[in-house]
Amino acid sequence: MDTVKLYLRSMKMLMRCQMEYPVSFLLNTLSQLVMMGGELMAVLLLVDRFQQVGRWSGSHILFFFGLMTITFYLMECFARGITTFGPIVQSGSLDTMLLRPRGVLTQVCCHAVDPRRIGCIAIGAAALFVGSRESQVLWTWKKVVVLLESMAGGSLLITALFLIQAVTCMHSIKSVEMVNVFTYGGRSTCQYPIDIYPGPLKIMFTVVAPFALTMHVPAAYILDMPILNLPAWSAFLTPLSGLVSFLIMYRVFQHGLKYYRSTGS
Amino acid sequence: MKKFISFLRPYLSVFVMRFRIETQYRGAALGGIITQLFFGLMLVALYKALYESAPQSIPLAQTVTYVWLQQSCFRMLLSTDTELMQSVRTGGIGYEMCRPLSPYGFYYARALAQKLVGSALRAGPMVLCAALLPSPWGISAPAGLWQFMMFLAALLLGLLCTCALSNIAMAFTIRSLDMSGITGMLNLLLVTFSGNLLPLTLFPDAWQKAIRLTPYAQLLDAPIRIYTGEYTFPQSLETLLIQLFWTLCLGLVGYLMWQSNQKKMIVQGG
Repeated sequence: MDTVKLYLRSMKMLMRCQMEYPVSFLLNTLSQLVMMGGELMAVLLLVDRFQQVGRWSGSHILFFFGLMTITFYLMECFARGITTFGPIVQSGSLDTMLLRPRGVLTQVCCHAVDPRRIGCIAIGAAALFVGSRESQVLWTWKKVVVLLESMAGGSLLITALFLIQAVTCMHSIKSVEMVNVFTYGGRSTCQYPIDIYPGPLKIMFTVVAPFALTMHVPAAYILDMPILNLPAWSAFLTPLSGLVSFLIMYRVFQHGLKYYRSTGS
Repeated sequence: MKKFISFLRPYLSVFVMRFRIETQYRGAALGGIITQLFFGLMLVALYKALYESAPQSIPLAQTVTYVWLQQSCFRMLLSTDTELMQSVRTGGIGYEMCRPLSPYGFYYARALAQKLVGSALRAGPMVLCAALLPSPWGISAPAGLWQFMMFLAALLLGLLCTCALSNIAMAFTIRSLDMSGITGMLNLLLVTFSGNLLPLTLFPDAWQKAIRLTPYAQLLDAPIRIYTGEYTFPQSLETLLIQLFWTLCLGLVGYLMWQSNQKKMIVQGG
């Protein structure tokens, strides 16, 4: 409970810091909004030209895009520190964190917040809303539960993937670009349903980085279009894979900290 | 002639220096290549799936080639000069301005070396890898010999054009001090309308005429369209002229902006 309190407190403080420069904040949020709008436009143009991808219609694609965008940027907004772990190691801030009587991961999360991402989340929410309306989704409480579960699981999964980056960072000091294949690559790949991709990509994002399990199975359940030959009830269970990935990576991260050597100053 | 060479020499040495610095990071380039290869493969998989459900007038092979060339030359488009950004914030730029050189030329040479090395180190191996992939996945050969020669010329013009563009972005940064706002917007325009996010050939047909005239289309889209043989010989010549026009225009605009920046610049002590 103490950790949550600490986190909320530093969030509040960091938000206040950002609000000290309201014009800059507004401009930045606006530019994020426009940037996400650009990505949305690309998806809309593709949908407009091709009408459908496999068995998925344009509105389904929009729904998938919305779900991925909300989840990804929720994580980037509130756990910004994890995505910028490289500079934390390089500048030696990690050394100070190790001295404090709190968990390193808590401190990293409390390190930064990025409220500008609210623009991106808004675009994602709009896409999700329009997508579900155009696909004529009948919302039931079960579907709402699945949606929330999917967002939570997805956020945890993405956090876990960024933790891989953090662990490699502790070893090699420089942040390793290749991990982007899982994080940003996962985002661009899995904003479209997994079953349009060939085998290796499918395996990679179902087993290695289970975006398909945390997002696509629940989304398919909500859209009433079963995916990967899984029964409907599985949609309640598969998002848990996000939690599992997070727990595994958390252990690896803690283990990695033991072997951390400071860069000195 | 001799005078001209001695005028160019400092810019040339800036270029060479930057070239040497950039070639130091070969390890980083390898990681970048693997990442970019993955993104290319993923995009090709996506377009393959899209084409299977709705065949288009533009053949799949052409779109795949487009994706690979865009991915390999990605570095040419986006490379913000963090050193310059920092020197704007710390005031170090004041010293740079004291040099008996045109600051515009100085940064132009720097950007040119940075973009050239950054993309050449990655583009070569990437195109090679893409060429080795089996038929629907890999890059196709250029449409013909003259197309290939013109592609190289267009690529060079595109490079000069993107350097002029990034100098304009830098001029904005110097003026506003805050880099993320306006440069974010400029980067968005760049990524969207250069065809990196989505090949310009897949934009709605009604937009095509206008879209290929924008400065952003001159960077990579124009060379790629020549490469795939979409343009006839006169059309390709016309494209090169459009590229030349934009390069000169953007160069002039950037130069004037730097000139006026220099007059108005206030270095806040520290």
